[in-house]
Amino acid sequence: MREYPLSGLFMLADRNLRNRPARTIAVAATFAVIAASLFSAQYLMSGARQSLDNGLNRMGADLMIVPAEYATSGEDALLTGRPTTFFFQDGGFETIADIPGVARASPELFIGTLYGQACCAGPIQLIAIDPAHDFTISSWLKENPSVIMGKDDIIVGSAIAGDIGSDLRFYGHTFHIAGRLDRTGLSGVDMAVFTRIEDAYTMADESGIKAARKLSIPKGMVSAVLVRVSPGSDPQTVSGEIMNRVPGTKAISRAGLSGTVSERLKTTASLLYGSALVVTAVTIPLLGCVAVLIASERRRETAILRGLGASQSFVRNLFITESVLLTLAGACTGIGTAALFLVAFGDFIAISLKIPFTMPPAGSILTSMGVALCLPVISGIIATLYPAVQVSRADPYTVIREAGI
Amino acid sequence: MIEVRGIRKTFGTGDSAVHAVDHALFTVDDGDFTLILGRSGSGKSTLLALIAGLIRPTEGSILINGTDIGTAADTRMAHLRARTMGFVFQFSGLIPTLTALENVLVPTLFLRDAPGNRERAMFLLGKVGVAGRAHAYPGTLSSGEMKRVAIARALINDPAILIADEPTGDLDTDTEAEIMALFRELNRGGITIVMVTHNPDLIPCATNVYRMERGTLKKVPAGPACSSNPPGGPASVNTGDRV
Repeated sequence: MREYPLSGLFMLADRNLRNRPARTIAVAATFAVIAASLFSAQYLMSGARQSLDNGLNRMGADLMIVPAEYATSGEDALLTGRPTTFFFQDGGFETIADIPGVARASPELFIGTLYGQACCAGPIQLIAIDPAHDFTISSWLKENPSVIMGKDDIIVGSAIAGDIGSDLRFYGHTFHIAGRLDRTGLSGVDMAVFTRIEDAYTMADESGIKAARKLSIPKGMVSAVLVRVSPGSDPQTVSGEIMNRVPGTKAISRAGLSGTVSERLKTTASLLYGSALVVTAVTIPLLGCVAVLIASERRRETAILRGLGASQSFVRNLFITESVLLTLAGACTGIGTAALFLVAFGDFIAISLKIPFTMPPAGSILTSMGVALCLPVISGIIATLYPAVQVSRADPYTVIREAGI
Repeated sequence: MIEVRGIRKTFGTGDSAVHAVDHALFTVDDGDFTLILGRSGSGKSTLLALIAGLIRPTEGSILINGTDIGTAADTRMAHLRARTMGFVFQFSGLIPTLTALENVLVPTLFLRDAPGNRERAMFLLGKVGVAGRAHAYPGTLSSGEMKRVAIARALINDPAILIADEPTGDLDTDTEAEIMALFRELNRGGITIVMVTHNPDLIPCATNVYRMERGTLKKVPAGPACSSNPPGGPASVNTGDRV
């Protein structure tokens, strides 16, 4: 059982750290880098996954079927909101809807708008839905019964400017904002405008007269088919069956999108995790050496403490407490700085990396903080343990005689 | 009570073995002021370290109030040092990063139920005459002031035994006299003192005097002043243990 109060350990440790500010700051800064790298990597990964989940849950689909040659554009449209326009034969929709394991299928038209829209800095994605089959916007409408999506009404993503009730013009056609979706962090949803297919056709018909450039939507074509898989069916199997039955298509799945996001984050995450590991790998032996030097430098002090009644465990724990305080201070500083940076520039980072991003849930942030705190602290303890044990076992009498105490 | 039972401390082995303390045998009763004289290298500091439990004897045993400190576990020994003994090092041994007041409080950090506290520390600093320097760092104190702070530190946990290793060795004559007067007062207050010195002028202060030569201890008659001023008599000073 510990025979001394912890307050004494903390007081002495605190004094020792404050007394050597340059060394304290240098070591703490190293651990700040480790913690900041770890926290940033986890925060970005967690934010991307959370955002993808939010967005895909909003879409309500397990698969998005697109023409094979537009698979990348389709993924980009979803993940980054980069507008794209492509079509394929509507015949595919009927076939897809009949495939076993497909619970619901909904055709959609993807139309990239022109520059110069009032709502946005550049072109955005207009997604035309078929109300008879749709389960993305219709499920949202069910959750928001006060919103009715009638003729020329649009539901806008959270990043689209314009008040509910105001008008927006695309290809010269005036639409009326009926509702706004909550932010998901998935640009393909947040930066999209949802309209009805019949209004899109009207818009295309009028565009020859009203718009700077005519929009052509070939009749009987769709851009994508969203698929919700029956309970118990494997999305992977269903997607394989769809690609078999409707040649020239490609299924974009949740897992596939996650893979794409992970791939895009790979370099950044590798860089962050790698730097954290490299710095840790360098720091542990370095801190060990510093701890040995400190232990040697403080043999006189520890001998005095032993002479005055400090046990070996007190001396050992004093060194370890200093290490824990030092690494904690460094890690907290690193995490705090990284958190501020990520909150301020998270969206910019996401755009640069072409990944969806939203603030991760509190539990996930706390877990990331915990991991980012633990590694430096454990590293610090490992590095200090040996010198701490050695100095605690040193014969105080010999030191007292040598140091002329 | 300290019972030293035929202890020997040997450093090295074989032909190079040195008996720093060779079969020392003596007893220090409660309230005694025991002086151990000897030249440098005679083994007196080693004997003191053995009594303080900083090193263990090669042979023999030392009992402090019945506890054999030669076999006591480190934790038990450390507790005994913190609670029962006060140690005054030869060169004060203050921790440079702590103020005088904080240095005095250091022994309280090792005990859950330490009798010492901030008020008592201030009282003791006042008692040794350096209350005005309580917040000064050791680097700004004179040798005499540092020694006084070290004595206050040794007394903070109200110890029964005060062990001092040449406490006046590096002091001028006046300060030495003041420090010795302080030790005498403490002894009169009931504290058992075991002091190592090379200064024979201090013999009149002691009740028991031993001379150490090449590790061997010999009893020397105590000075006349001691017999006329017995320790444990009417206390002219207290150590503030009621603070």
